Amino acid sequence: MFQVISRAARLSRTPLSRSLPAFSTTSQINGRDQLGRHEAPMIDNDVVVASPDEKQQKSVLESTISVPVKVDLTPVSGVPEEHIKPRRVRIYQPPKNAMQSGTNNIHHWEMEFDNRQRWENPLMGWTSTGDPLSNMKVAFRSPEEAIEHCEKNGWSWFLDVPKIEKPVRPKNYGLNFSWNRRTRVSTK
Amino acid sequence: MLRQPLSRALTLSSPVRAAPLAARPYAAQAPPPPEKVEVFIDDKPVHVLPGTTILQAAALVGVEIPRFCYHERLAVAGNCRMCLVEIERSPKPAAACAMPVMKGMRVKTNSDLTKKAREGVMEFLLVNHPLDCPICDQGGECDLQDQSMAFGSDRSRFTDIHFSGKRAVEDKDVGPLIKTIMTRCIHCTRCIRFASEVAGVDDFGTTGRGSDMQVGTYVEKMFLSELSGNIIDLCPVGALTSKPYSFAARPWETRRIDSVDVLDPLGSNIVIATRTNEVLRILPRTNEEINEEWLSDKSRFACDGLKRQRLVTPMMTDSRGNLTPVEWEDAMVAAARALRDCPPGKLLAVAGDLADAESLVALKDLVNRLGSDSTCTEQYFPLDGAGIDLRSSYLCNTKIANVEDADFVLLIGTNTRFEAPLLNARIRKAFIHKDTDVALIGPKVDLTYEYIHVGDSASAVKDLATGSSSHEVMKRLEAAKRPVVILGADQLKTPEGAAILAYTQELALRLQDKLEDKKWKVLNVLQRTASQVAALDIGYQPGVGAALQAGPQVVYLLGADSGVVSRDQLPKGATVIYQGHHGDAGAAIADIVLPGAAYTEKRATYVNAEGRAQQTLVAVTPPGKAREDWKIIRALSEVVGQRLPYDTLDEVRDRLSEISPALVTYGDVQDNNYFAQARSLAQSLQKPVSGKVDVQLKKLEDFFMTDPISRASPTMAKCVQAVIKQKSSKY
Amino acid sequence: MLSSLRTGVQGVLRAASRNIQTSAALQHDSLFVHRDTPEDNPDIPFEFTEQNKKRVDAILGIYPEGHKRGAMIPLLDLAQRQNGGWLPISAMHKVADLLKLPRMRVYEVATFYTMFIRRPIGKYHLQVCTTTPCWLRGSDAVLKTLVEGTGCKVGGTSPCGKFSISEVECLGACVNAPMVQVNDDYYEDLSIEDTKEIIEKLKKDEKPKAGPRSGRFASEPLGGLTSLSDPPTGPGFGIQDALK
Repeated sequence: MFQVISRAARLSRTPLSRSLPAFSTTSQINGRDQLGRHEAPMIDNDVVVASPDEKQQKSVLESTISVPVKVDLTPVSGVPEEHIKPRRVRIYQPPKNAMQSGTNNIHHWEMEFDNRQRWENPLMGWTSTGDPLSNMKVAFRSPEEAIEHCEKNGWSWFLDVPKIEKPVRPKNYGLNFSWNRRTRVSTK
Repeated sequence: MLRQPLSRALTLSSPVRAAPLAARPYAAQAPPPPEKVEVFIDDKPVHVLPGTTILQAAALVGVEIPRFCYHERLAVAGNCRMCLVEIERSPKPAAACAMPVMKGMRVKTNSDLTKKAREGVMEFLLVNHPLDCPICDQGGECDLQDQSMAFGSDRSRFTDIHFSGKRAVEDKDVGPLIKTIMTRCIHCTRCIRFASEVAGVDDFGTTGRGSDMQVGTYVEKMFLSELSGNIIDLCPVGALTSKPYSFAARPWETRRIDSVDVLDPLGSNIVIATRTNEVLRILPRTNEEINEEWLSDKSRFACDGLKRQRLVTPMMTDSRGNLTPVEWEDAMVAAARALRDCPPGKLLAVAGDLADAESLVALKDLVNRLGSDSTCTEQYFPLDGAGIDLRSSYLCNTKIANVEDADFVLLIGTNTRFEAPLLNARIRKAFIHKDTDVALIGPKVDLTYEYIHVGDSASAVKDLATGSSSHEVMKRLEAAKRPVVILGADQLKTPEGAAILAYTQELALRLQDKLEDKKWKVLNVLQRTASQVAALDIGYQPGVGAALQAGPQVVYLLGADSGVVSRDQLPKGATVIYQGHHGDAGAAIADIVLPGAAYTEKRATYVNAEGRAQQTLVAVTPPGKAREDWKIIRALSEVVGQRLPYDTLDEVRDRLSEISPALVTYGDVQDNNYFAQARSLAQSLQKPVSGKVDVQLKKLEDFFMTDPISRASPTMAKCVQAVIKQKSSKY
Repeated sequence: MLSSLRTGVQGVLRAASRNIQTSAALQHDSLFVHRDTPEDNPDIPFEFTEQNKKRVDAILGIYPEGHKRGAMIPLLDLAQRQNGGWLPISAMHKVADLLKLPRMRVYEVATFYTMFIRRPIGKYHLQVCTTTPCWLRGSDAVLKTLVEGTGCKVGGTSPCGKFSISEVECLGACVNAPMVQVNDDYYEDLSIEDTKEIIEKLKKDEKPKAGPRSGRFASEPLGGLTSLSDPPTGPGFGIQDALK
């Protein structure tokens, strides 16, 4: 079981580590800096007058300490083993619907279980399934949260990092009319 | 509903996203970018290159401006006016999609003026748009519907007291794939631009003027493109919808599973929409490194072939030679007996076009355990020289995404338009946006762009490789900074295939050695099928010719349907076991049929032409008694008495990673090496060539039915008919 | 106070009642899709005459390299003139071939401009202006005369195939209203008699005299000049004596 998880982690390390900087604290600081670029830095007067010892004490008190503890909920969650051991969770970012332009509802991460058999209910034509986890789509802010959630519940997971980033190329209305380039569209 | 404005804004504004990506280093190698200008979108500062449009700048800070006509992969049209925004100190609202940013510009995308402007545009659009959302196939995934929720008026000022009716436009017939309801058209011209820019088939346009303007083809004409289905996605309203999917389902009823397409060698990313264990439609999924957001018609519409001609139960030939349904147990026992009784060396396994890496490795392990070494693929590849020992000799080393940064493309014996439509779309993109020139050695085919035709004799390849050619292409290739040479797999199976491959390697590596950019790869061999690269990685022998001559007693066909194995070639009394999902050429000659799963029904690994491993996911379960392929082989091994040492998919994948870690690094592609070694091994093969370079898929009608799934698809059959009918038309 | 209250009440009333505005749905009388007919289908070949081929070369020569498609409208016009006043689909195809453009791009231009007529038309295309100034000066009577004289309905072609009548908007000859355009010529200041004479002459394939029928040379006043009739005054005109 653990072997599977570590293997999965190993397998998906490459994409995960590539996506990490976007979510790490460094980029958050950068982002904040970028937003407040024109503002003079706000300095707390207490900090200026404090002695180095006091400063250190203060920073120790303010920071949170996280202790890496592997939490395993499987013995207490009551989920039958058949829905823990053989199930695999896919952690992914929902893809943009190709039929639409909008992207507002795809900026999060989701987890989803492997798909099991469904059938049409003969009476009403509704879709039936015997899989209690079939509709368990959970949304997360980051893949790390999703991974943590899966590890806690003992599900083996894999991460799908979408390849959706591309360099921004300025678009130009004038290119439609350029006389010596092939970008000139035939309609113009 | 989870909303996280903070983290989203941070993600979007973080330098990581804005910086050029590691995967696309060549895009950044243009001349040094001009200084960036700062603009403010809703008071958020953003630094962009001069010339960027307001809409693009807004996208960088996560502000989405509504639009209909603007599409990031098409030229700017600026005709729907939905993206009007207020610019500070500007007297009128401006169309964000066409307006370039200026230094210090302050744009308000949410101001009262902006909203009012959009409401006005929306009202005008809705005056001429029918109110038929309940019977419209776009309902639920319609941009007009969504945006009218935000900007539409709660009551209409359109009062038709004379009952003269709204604008009504005659529907067009553009083929069996696209249904048109032209009254719904809002004249965004996305389809026109797609047809002329991406598809390269200039058949759409606007006729008439004013309120009589209509989008269409003027004459009755089918949209003769292999990428036509994409205009269904592009259409922001329900004017162009999918004909096979019409009235089938609503988007909220379907379950969407992200998967990978296997009907061409590129492995385009797809979303499979299913309901009640039935594949309803297939849509593209954005993957910038493979298919961007397009999908070829075969990949998109052949999915109805998954419901027809399926093998749903094991079968065996009865006393009269007819295949009759049996239980799994009987079929397994019979197959195991045949395998066990087969003398070592007389067992042959043939893998077909759609076989996945898991079943390939399981079958090879089983065959090897039974004392045989003949596992083959249907597609041939010359084994002389480096053969398949070096991965670089059978892959697209340039990578699909990098092709658009090339400055000269030489195609040798390949019609990329039909063998890999989205690679062709990339070449066309380079042709249009980067002024890349293309040359072709092979029959004159319509590639949708202009090219230099170097003739169709194989000696042209030799002349280019040895540098003795006087053709202008020689000079162009040598002057190119990022040349690309693509060799089609069709050439490899000809008697001169080894020599053509050797010359292509020689040419490509001679060019590559001289490049300033040491990372740029020139050599590409474009495979024809989705299974070939994985099979070669795993160690299958390409081609069945030699193995058939050895007179096999038992032939195990793993989805081998292209007809290279036929009864005539087998010795009398040979047993044929067929494992696959469609009753096609393979099942027709089989004694024992084991029903397998199609690519939508299993979690399986496929390696695309670049060598990128990707996995399909289970969208529906296999029909009837069909099972996942690697499990069938695993079960059979137990019955034969040669138990394969893996019980779960993860264990099979462990086995795959033992063979090659590249087979399980999903989504990523590695750079290949050992080009020089391949070149030196190929030196001895450079024999004189005299033949013609030919390709199999020449015309559009050849494109639609190439594998068991598309051969079983009625939609694809209709396409072939429609194309042939259109060819006889005068337009 | 009271007045402001009234305005408020009016405002409420205005908001409560719906502002119903209608206008007739105007649809163009020609189709914007092509239908094959015995007269107009791609099997009927079209070729420029030798003389017109020279004109084609001359027209193409005007436009610089990279902008050759600018010649599309002149070429289509040339084709229409050669083909007796209307533009068959094969002529559009011919122009597309000449300009090396997709055919659709030519269809777009040919359908956009109303002066390209995409269906068979009579030898004489009578375009009657019925916009306000002409209408005030009796264009209805002129139109009626034409319809009766040629036996041709508005928007149709006469049984003899010689005449087609269209009702058009302002042709820019309001000073000489009412007027009719026959092919390239303007016939202005028409009376019913003039109109009848024009029809008779056209029936005999004679060319009626173009221009104003009222005896005017152009658009000068009919009864002589009403202003600017004196010789121009010299310098210093109208300035008080002290300043001279």
